[in-house]
Amino acid sequence: MMRRLRNVALIVVALAAVGGVYALLVPSPQTAVAQTADTARTAQGRALYEQACISCHGANLQGEPGRGPGLTGVGDAAVYFQVSTGRMPLAGPQDRGYRKAPAPEFDPTTEQGSANLAALGAYVEANGGGPTTPTTPGDQLIGSDVAHGGELYRLNCASCHNFTGRGGVLADGRYPPRLDGATPTQMYTAMLSGPMAMPVFSDQQLTPEEKKDIIAYVVSVRGQNNAPGGFGLGELGPSTEGVIAFVVGLATLVGVAAWIGART
Amino acid sequence: MSTPREPTGHELERMSRSELVELGGSLDGVQVVSDEPAHGSDTPDRERRSRRLVTLLLVLSLLCAAGFVWAYLFWPTGYVPPGAPGHTAYLLYTPLIGLTFFGAVGALGVALVVYVRRFYPDEVAVQHLERGPSPEKDRFTAAATFAEAGAHTGFGRRTMIRRLGLTGFGVIGIMGGLVAVGGLVRNPWRQGTDAALWTTGWKPTGDEPVFLRVAAGDPREIVKVRPEDLEPASILTVVPFRESERDDVEKNHDAEMAPDNPVVLIRLPAGTHVTNPPGREDLHHGDYYAFSKVCTHLGCPAALYDTQLQVILCPCHQSEFRITEGARPVFGPAARPLPQLPITVDADGYFVARSDFLDPVGPSFWEMRRGSR
Amino acid sequence: MGLVARALTRGAADAVDRRYSVASAARRQASHVFPKHHSFFWGEIALYSFVVLVLSGTYLALYFVPDTTEVVYTGPYAPLQGLFVSRAYDSALSLSFEVRAGLFVRQLHHWAALLFVAAMILHMARNFFTGAFRRPRELTWLGGVALLAIGIFEGYLGYSMLDDLLSGLGVRIFSGLLLSVPVVGTWLHWLVFGGEFFGDIWISRFFIAHVLVLPGLLVALIAVHVGLVWYQKHTQFPGPGAREDTVVGERALPGFASRTVANGVCVLAVLGLLAGVFQINPVFLWGPYTPTQVSTYIQPDFYAGFLIGGLRLWPRWEFHLGDHTVAAPFWVGLVLPLLMFALLALYPWLERLRTGDHAPHQVLQRPRDDATRTGIGAMGLVFWGILFASGATDVLASTFDVPFEYLVWAGRIGLLVLPPLAFVVVRGVCRGLQRSDRDALEHGVHTGVLQEGPDGVYVELRRPPGGADRAGRPVPLRYGGSRIDRRPDTGADQTEEQR
Repeated sequence: MMRRLRNVALIVVALAAVGGVYALLVPSPQTAVAQTADTARTAQGRALYEQACISCHGANLQGEPGRGPGLTGVGDAAVYFQVSTGRMPLAGPQDRGYRKAPAPEFDPTTEQGSANLAALGAYVEANGGGPTTPTTPGDQLIGSDVAHGGELYRLNCASCHNFTGRGGVLADGRYPPRLDGATPTQMYTAMLSGPMAMPVFSDQQLTPEEKKDIIAYVVSVRGQNNAPGGFGLGELGPSTEGVIAFVVGLATLVGVAAWIGART
Repeated sequence: MSTPREPTGHELERMSRSELVELGGSLDGVQVVSDEPAHGSDTPDRERRSRRLVTLLLVLSLLCAAGFVWAYLFWPTGYVPPGAPGHTAYLLYTPLIGLTFFGAVGALGVALVVYVRRFYPDEVAVQHLERGPSPEKDRFTAAATFAEAGAHTGFGRRTMIRRLGLTGFGVIGIMGGLVAVGGLVRNPWRQGTDAALWTTGWKPTGDEPVFLRVAAGDPREIVKVRPEDLEPASILTVVPFRESERDDVEKNHDAEMAPDNPVVLIRLPAGTHVTNPPGREDLHHGDYYAFSKVCTHLGCPAALYDTQLQVILCPCHQSEFRITEGARPVFGPAARPLPQLPITVDADGYFVARSDFLDPVGPSFWEMRRGSR
Repeated sequence: MGLVARALTRGAADAVDRRYSVASAARRQASHVFPKHHSFFWGEIALYSFVVLVLSGTYLALYFVPDTTEVVYTGPYAPLQGLFVSRAYDSALSLSFEVRAGLFVRQLHHWAALLFVAAMILHMARNFFTGAFRRPRELTWLGGVALLAIGIFEGYLGYSMLDDLLSGLGVRIFSGLLLSVPVVGTWLHWLVFGGEFFGDIWISRFFIAHVLVLPGLLVALIAVHVGLVWYQKHTQFPGPGAREDTVVGERALPGFASRTVANGVCVLAVLGLLAGVFQINPVFLWGPYTPTQVSTYIQPDFYAGFLIGGLRLWPRWEFHLGDHTVAAPFWVGLVLPLLMFALLALYPWLERLRTGDHAPHQVLQRPRDDATRTGIGAMGLVFWGILFASGATDVLASTFDVPFEYLVWAGRIGLLVLPPLAFVVVRGVCRGLQRSDRDALEHGVHTGVLQEGPDGVYVELRRPPGGADRAGRPVPLRYGGSRIDRRPDTGADQTEEQR
C-alpha cells in the first residue's frame, strides 16, 4: 500500500518535472559544451570498461573468443540493460548471465551508478553506435494506453515472458526472466537491444509510444496488481491452482471427514 | 430374525417408545447393539462446557453472516485501477466476502460436528443384509409371469410380424439419430483444392498482391512491412492484407482472427548459416524468412524466437523448430516443419507473399498426403 | 418441541401416510444402517461439490452470453478497454467486474469443479484399494468411472467457453485432436465446429453441452450411483460383528444424516474460502483469445493434466498409410485416455479373471491383503502421476532450473520403467506387511522388552494379541482382515480379556 502511494507520488512529481526538463533540454543547441562533456564522459567510460569488461570483451570491444562477444555496435541501450540489471559483469565462470544485484559502481539507483552507466554506455556508443538508452526518466517511460500495450505485450512478449510477466522456459536449460524487478528503463532498453536469446524490437517495429504502452501494461499486471480475486498464486496458470485444490481444498476436507467420521 | 407375533393395536398403544423402536428394528433386521451415552454430556460440567462451545460457534457463525451481508451490500465493488485511491479496498472485496462466507458456513459446520460428536449417543447398530438372489418363490413366479406375458403377445410364433415390428422401432431410432446428427454433418472437402484445410488467407486472388501486414489487434491500423522495419535478430507477427480491402474493417479483423493466417517474419542475424531444405531454397528474401505461426503439432502459436539457437519454441507442448533448417522439428512432439511462406519485396519496397504456403498449415490430418512437409 | 408443533407434525405425518402409506418405508430408511469410517465421506465431498456446481452454475448462466460475435470491450477494466473481444468473453468480464460478488461466484464455481474431480479421484482410489468394486457392486464402479470421465470433459467445456487466451488454446488443441483421428477426423471436426477451427458456432454448442447435456447425464448417473450404494448398503471394513451378511454402523437417523449434512456444510465452507482467497482462472489477465497470441505456462486444469503430459512426451511418430497420414497426437491424445478409462472401467472383471473370485463381498479388504491389486493400483497411479507431472514440464523446469528437455526424457523413460517398478515394490511391501501381521498373531506383538532366558540368551518379550490362557500359552488368533493391536504395553491383555 505504502509502495503504491509512493509510486503515485513519484509519478505526479515526475509529471510535474517533465515540462521543465523538456523545456530545458530540447531547444538549446549548446553543441560545443556538449561535445567536450561527451569526450570527458567517453574517456571515463573507457576507464570503467578497462576495469570491468576488458577481460572478456577485449581491448577494443572486439570480443575474446570463448569468453565474450564483441560489443561494437551493440549500443548504449545494451550496456545499460546488461550492467544495470547486474547481468554484467559476470560474477565468475558459473554465472550464466541472469539478473542479479548490480555492481555497486553501476547501481542505477545511485547518482554515481547512473553516471558510470552513462559513461560506459557513451564509450560503447562511441564505437559503432547502436540503440541508445532513452534520456527520459523511467517514470515517463510508462505509457498511457494500457490496453493497447496489453495487446502488443501478448502478441510480442507473452510467448516468452508469460501473460503477467512470470517468465517461462527456453531450450537448453535457459529461461526468459521474470519481469518483476525490471525498471521501465530496463524493459525499454531490453526491447531495443534484444539481450541474450531475446529478439530485437526496433523503433520501426514497436514505436517508442508502443514500447511505453507495453511497459505500462507490465507495470499494471505484475506483482498482484489487478488481481481482485485474492492471492494470484504466482499467476502461473492452472498448475498452481491444481496444487491449491489438493493441498488446501482436498486436504482440509479429508481432515474434516476424518473428524466427522472418527469414533467419539 | 425370528418373526414376532403380530401385535394388536391395543398392545401397540401400550408399548413404550423403546419397545416400539425395538419392534420396528426387528421388522427391518436392525438391532441397536450399544447406545453409549454421549461423552460430551455425561456430567453436568461437561454438558455445560459442550453447550458453551456450540453456542459460541453458532454466535460466531451469525456474526460472520452479518459481516458477509454487510460487506456484500456496502463494500465498494466498482473496479478501481492500480494506483488510484480505493484500489486496495476494491482488491479486498472478494477476499472479504469469501472470508465472511467461510466464517459463517464453516462455523456452522463445525458447530454441527461438535454437537453430533458431543451430544449424540455413540451408537452401534447391526443390520441384517438380505443378500443374493430373491427367494425361489419370487424367482419362479416372476419368470412365469413374464413368460406368460410373452406367450400372450404371440410374438414368438409370428416371426415375420416380430421382425418387421422390431425393424420399425429400429428405423425410428435411426431416423432420430439421422435428424440429430445429419444437420451437423458438413463436407470439409466441398471446395476441392480450395478446401479450407488446403488454403489460407495468403492464397492470392487474381493478380492482386498479398502484403504482409503487422498484426496489432486493431483492424483499423494498417501497417505494411518493409525490410528496413526489422533489425537483425527480430521477429514480427504478420497477417495477409490486400489493398482492395484497406477500408474493410471486418475483412481485416477476420484476417487476424483466421487461425491459419498468422505468420512470423524473422530477420536472421547477419551471416547466419542457413541450410534450406531441397526445393525450398528460394522462399526467403535475404535474411528474411516467413514461417507459419501455427504449430504443426496441435495448432498453438509457435512464437518463441530464440535468437541464440535460432530455434522457434512452441509454448504449449515445447516443440522446437530450427529456423536455419527450414523450421525442421528438432525436439518435442511436432512431426512436420513449420510451413514456409514464399516472400519477396515489391517495387515499392513492401513485403508480399509470392503464393500461399506450399504445405498444409496446422495439425496433421488423415487426408494430408505423404510428402506434405 | 412445543405441543402445537408436535400436534402439527403428527397431523402432517398422518395425512401423508393416509394417502401414500409410507410408514413402513420411512421407518426402514430411518433405521438404515450406515457403516462408520471417515473415508466413506470422501465420495460425499464430490457429491456436495457437484451440488455447489449446479447452484453456482445456474447463477453464472444468468449472466454468461454464449456468443462468439466480436464486440469492443467498453467495461471498467482499463487494461482491456477498446479491444475486440467475443461477447462470451465480454460477459465473463462484466460478471467479474460489474456484478456484485460475480467474481466470487465465478471462482466458487471453478474451485468446486477442481474439488469435484479431485474428490472423485480420491474416492475412486479408496474404492479400488479396498476392493469395494467387487461383486455385487460392479455397476456402481462403472458409474463412477463414467462420472469421472464426464466430469473431466464437463470441466474442460466449462473453462473453454470463456474464450480467453488460455481456453482458446485448449479449444485449438481439441480441434487438432479431432483432426488427428484417422479416416473420419476432418469430418468429425466439421461436425463439431461446423467448419474450420474455430468458426462461430462452437461456444453455443459447448454451452448447451456444458449446461444441459452433460449435467443431465451427471445428475442421472449420480442418482443411480448413490441409489445403488443406498439400496445395496455401504461396504464396511472388517471389525467386530462386521460380516458378509451384516452391516455394522449407525442408523441413518439421526447419526448418519447429521454427519453427512455437517460434511456438506463444511465442503461449502472450504469452497467459499478458496473462492474468496485464491484467485483462479483470471481471464481478464489472460486476455481475449486470438490465434496470433500465446503465453508461457499453458496448462489445462489439473484433471486434464495427464492428457497434456502425454502430448508432451509422445515422440513425433507420424506415419502414412498409402496416401494418408496418421497424426502423432492421435495415439496419445485420444487412444491413450480411452485405453486408460477402458482399463479402469473393466477392472472389476479383469480382477475376476485373475482371482477367480465370484463371491459377493460386503466386507472390504485392507490394501495390503491383496498385494497384487494394490501393486496394480500403485502402477496405475504412478503412470498417471508421471503423465500429470509431465504436463507441467515448463513450470517444473523453470522452478527447479532443469532443462525441460531432460524432464521430457525423464518422463518418457519414467513412464516405461517406474510403473512396473512401483508394482514390484508396492506388492513387496504389502506382502511384508502381511507377513508381519501373521507373525504378530502367531508369535505375539513386539514389546521391546528383553528378558534373559535360563541359558543366558536374551529374548524379546512378545505379547500375544489374543491374550494368554490360564497356563500362559498364547491364544492363537486368525487374521480377520482388520488392524492388529500393536501396542506393546502388556497391560492391554486385560482389556483384551474384558471384551
